[in-house]
Amino acid sequence: MLIRTPPDWELPESAATPEQHYHARRDFLKTLGLAGAAFAAHDLLSTDVLAATAGFPTKVNPAYRDPALKPSSYEAITNYNNFYEFGTSKEDPVVLANRGWKTEPWTVELAGLCRAPQKLDVSDLVAKMDGIEQRVYRFRCVEAWSMIIPWDGFPLAKLIALADPLPDAKFLKMTTFLDPKVSPGQRQGNLDYPYVEGLRLDEANHELSFIATGIYGKPIPNQNGAPLRLVVPWKYGFKYVKSIVKFEFTAKQPLNTWQAMQSREYGFYANVNPTVDHPRWSQASERVIGGGGLGSRQRTLMFNGYEKQVAGLYKGLDLRKNY
Amino acid sequence: MERVDPNALSGLPSTPNQRVEVNALHLVQRLENLLRRKVVIWTLLVLPGLWPLWLIFVAKSPSVLADPLKYVLHHLGFTACVLLATVLAFTPLRVLWPKWGVALALNRHRRLVGVASFAYAALHFTAHLVYEGGTDASFLLEILRNSVKKPFQLVGMITLAILLVLAITSLNAAIKWLGAKAWKNLHRLAYLAAALAAYHQAIARKTFPLQVVWIFGPLVLLELARMWKHFAPEKSGAGT
Repeated sequence: MLIRTPPDWELPESAATPEQHYHARRDFLKTLGLAGAAFAAHDLLSTDVLAATAGFPTKVNPAYRDPALKPSSYEAITNYNNFYEFGTSKEDPVVLANRGWKTEPWTVELAGLCRAPQKLDVSDLVAKMDGIEQRVYRFRCVEAWSMIIPWDGFPLAKLIALADPLPDAKFLKMTTFLDPKVSPGQRQGNLDYPYVEGLRLDEANHELSFIATGIYGKPIPNQNGAPLRLVVPWKYGFKYVKSIVKFEFTAKQPLNTWQAMQSREYGFYANVNPTVDHPRWSQASERVIGGGGLGSRQRTLMFNGYEKQVAGLYKGLDLRKNY
Repeated sequence: MERVDPNALSGLPSTPNQRVEVNALHLVQRLENLLRRKVVIWTLLVLPGLWPLWLIFVAKSPSVLADPLKYVLHHLGFTACVLLATVLAFTPLRVLWPKWGVALALNRHRRLVGVASFAYAALHFTAHLVYEGGTDASFLLEILRNSVKKPFQLVGMITLAILLVLAITSLNAAIKWLGAKAWKNLHRLAYLAAALAAYHQAIARKTFPLQVVWIFGPLVLLELARMWKHFAPEKSGAGT
């Protein structure tokens, strides 16, 4: 009999997605009731586990599929993560976020200044978003590195429409789960938890603002912010609040976690801007993750390359002060 | 670990315990002898440099492979900090435990470990240049301009400059040339370098990295103990 002692850096296949999560995801997918072409041949309610192996039945949205953008590898995207709830090193979350942290079932709350406040299960919420689409976006971290990520999900505007905000609502505040039992970072208190992020309502309603439920057509892994994560490609990565439990419409600008921690270095807007430096490093250029060998560096684009689409949101705003 | 020895209870000579004591002494002696040897210290100094190669080429860690140079950059800086704190701990260890063979053995290698700390710091800076510049030389001017502009990077460069001066003047000829007193004073800059390195490391991340405490904390405690021993009224009269 072969007895193999795996070294401690080795993550077994089974740890990447614990089996019960794997099956729960299948159930989750089935409840989505999405009639993708690949799905059509299968009975959605059957217990045939093969039915869901293709992951989310997602359709590529050609409007957000720039052929010049070559997606980073799935390994890089899912092994190089900032998720301080599960450790401050890039290699921590893939291990620590998969040690019994359950992201299904998951309740999401729509709250604050809106006509339809409600609490609902994430699968019910996604089912109301009529279909999952894939968009390939640039991703730029405030730490001056970047990736290209094929996100699956739905436009944030659809979720906002479901909540039906009141005229007084000017901002959308989003909050990550709080459960120190499963989150080593929350037990240590390496940040002020729960993690909070916010957008101006017009930013949130922008066509680029997206809620990710998957990556590369697969359910979004825990370490990337399962089951719901904000994606705002013209902003730095720390705005992409993960594992959201609450969407709240407010009249006042919410104080986001990193701004509360260190307002000199991180602001509310966090728009990618090569001309406004971080106090400790330059934002003019970025490391390309998965660049191979010594890696490569490229110039950072204004608004991360989405200037044409979003510059209008910030007319008359001093971007040097409102970083 | 401690087992009740029936012989000890009955007051008879406790041979097994004595044997353990002898063995422990023997082990300490062995450790001392090992640490005296240059080849052992050299191996201990080179090994941390090979660690990233293991992760990249053998273990193929996906987190490291996402940007291998970034890992190498941080690892080299980390190793330089650990070695700097280690070499500075040798003297207080000797002062506090003047008869401890291990401390004496370690103090034979102060120059070697100190120069190794500089070597890792220099490699760290080289990695920084490649990391910031990639293969595009047009970034070089920007890197240098940034290094002066950003206190975080400037402090790192000042630390490296101090270590460079100390490494050059670590040659025997330099001691003669400077005179023992001037040389000693110059090499006290190592403490400034350690303080600057700790600061540089403490602000390298988005939040305070706890590793700074366990790298530099023991050194601070040892130095405090050394000062206490130095200034406290000495009974034995064997003060330094």
